[in-house]
Amino acid sequence: MLDQSSEPTSPTPPVVPTFDLLRVPVLGRLLRWRHARTALQIPLLLLSALMVLHGLFGPTLAPKNLATTLTWVHFRGALVLLLLVAGNFFCLACPFMLPRAIARRFIKPKRNWPRWLRRKWLSLGLFVLVLFAYELFDLWASPWWTAWLIVAYFAGALAVDSLFKHASFCKFVCPIGQFNFVASTLSPLEVKVRDMDVCTGCRTKDCIRGRRDPAEQLVVLQRGCELALFQPRKVGNMDCTFCLDCVQACPHDNVGILSRTPASELTVDPLRSGVGIFSHRKDLAALVLVFTFGALLNAFGMVSPVYALQSWLARLLGTGYEAPRLGLIFVVFLVAEPVLLLGLAGWLTRTWGGSRRGLLPTITRYAYALAPLGFGIWLAHYGFHFLTGLYTFIPVMQSAAASTGWAFLGEPQWQLSGLPKAAIYPVELGFLGLGLLGSLLVSYRLAEEDTTTTRSKRVFALWAGLCVLLWVAALWLMSQPMEMRGTIGG
Amino acid sequence: MFLLVALSVGTMLAGCRKGAEAQTDILIAHEITPQPPVVGVTATVSLKVTDKAGRNVTGAKVKIEGNMSHAGMAPVFAEAGEVAPGRYQAHIAFSMSGDWVLLVDLTLPDGRKLQRQLEVKGVRPDDG
Repeated sequence: MLDQSSEPTSPTPPVVPTFDLLRVPVLGRLLRWRHARTALQIPLLLLSALMVLHGLFGPTLAPKNLATTLTWVHFRGALVLLLLVAGNFFCLACPFMLPRAIARRFIKPKRNWPRWLRRKWLSLGLFVLVLFAYELFDLWASPWWTAWLIVAYFAGALAVDSLFKHASFCKFVCPIGQFNFVASTLSPLEVKVRDMDVCTGCRTKDCIRGRRDPAEQLVVLQRGCELALFQPRKVGNMDCTFCLDCVQACPHDNVGILSRTPASELTVDPLRSGVGIFSHRKDLAALVLVFTFGALLNAFGMVSPVYALQSWLARLLGTGYEAPRLGLIFVVFLVAEPVLLLGLAGWLTRTWGGSRRGLLPTITRYAYALAPLGFGIWLAHYGFHFLTGLYTFIPVMQSAAASTGWAFLGEPQWQLSGLPKAAIYPVELGFLGLGLLGSLLVSYRLAEEDTTTTRSKRVFALWAGLCVLLWVAALWLMSQPMEMRGTIGG
Repeated sequence: MFLLVALSVGTMLAGCRKGAEAQTDILIAHEITPQPPVVGVTATVSLKVTDKAGRNVTGAKVKIEGNMSHAGMAPVFAEAGEVAPGRYQAHIAFSMSGDWVLLVDLTLPDGRKLQRQLEVKGVRPDDG
């Protein structure tokens, strides 16, 4: 095995016969349809408008409001489950992109996204900010704030993409997008080339350049990838919004939605089109860490011990304000804990495991191994809310319809909730177990790549130990009595 | 632009509606025992319903629905019986610790319907 591997390793794993979603009857044809994305976006845009209106003018109690019920119960749960069983289809149907697409018919942005912002640091900060605001303002309990959050997303996407070319909002700003990019590294489907030989012979590169008018080369008939992912050199799902522009643009019908081994892209380190080399991307590694430790933090925010901790911190800091206490908890969970744990594991990997990478490159490379576990924790958490509240949208819809004088949906059936908690606990454990297994497998492959055969077991043991530690923390969190507090009727 | 105008007008209307709901001639005082309520221990919700003049309101039908502050949680339901003139009592089993809100639906003897929202902070987990 390689003993010195700050150099990129060989590319993708061996190709095996694959399933292609675009070849599936009906569904494949629908997805290949030129207006497929718009057709998926329109219902979500209408639903978003309904949620905003209900959030601002409807009942102030979260369980009675579409904004809070659909956002915090159904959308989040459906998102992670879809990422688990398929891929980044939320970004495909993203309603925030529809007003932007309409605006771009009239506004042609001329600026490129600033070079110094072409990393994930900004979106990483926004991701943390959303997590922080969620706890500080009890967003789950506030239809009004939830509605404004949705409006802010629409406004942000519109503003950024009206000023800057390409998909700047998706690639460099959107916190949901970054969440989806990391989670989709664990998805079983990927937008990729069907036959590489076809690409080798391709001269037009429409998948990235866009399909041009043969008579007038400056006229783009079908845009190519706006996220700078050149299909023949694209590896994995990172930064892919599943927009299918490349599918539309390819004149050889050579791009599909193909099956692959989930997490396989985390075990290799080639030069990726539009992304670069994972082991050189500290911002991406930091995003994976926030994704993982943020999953623990977000789950911690809904169990009883967090209130004991907050009370203790209030006495310690001598303040009744929540922001500084919460800020301290965030610094401990998202900065101190990862630095300490990964710093120790990285240092031991070098001194005891014999890795020749520097400390920071070692941490950067192995950070990606935590993504499966992080995804498992998000799945357990959001899956819990989704399944326990599965049917709650029905009475809320009935009530919303009735409040407008349309009682055609019938009397609200408020007794409808979802699956019993006892039935969901094993599912949560399953998600956590799956996450741990994925992280262990990725750690094993990375250790094999990084060090000699004899030492790779040591290195694996180190990172496996870290994964197990985080998994035990997640297990403990999921076994705690749930305790939701929040400003009611906010 | 249309969306912004609609949002602004709607926000103003929503503000007006809240004010209108506050005007009522029926007063409800409530007490919940044990305090704080505990998951797994049936709590008793006692309501004293009076009119503006302080007279007990008898013969009302009272239904209570308990919800958590987070959407998607199973609500709990109870009907309150009149245990003394103007005094109603219901038993509620809080299913989860945290903050709850009780929606009290009153149907008065004259057919008028009212709804009140009562906050129940910090329901404790079942430690036993």
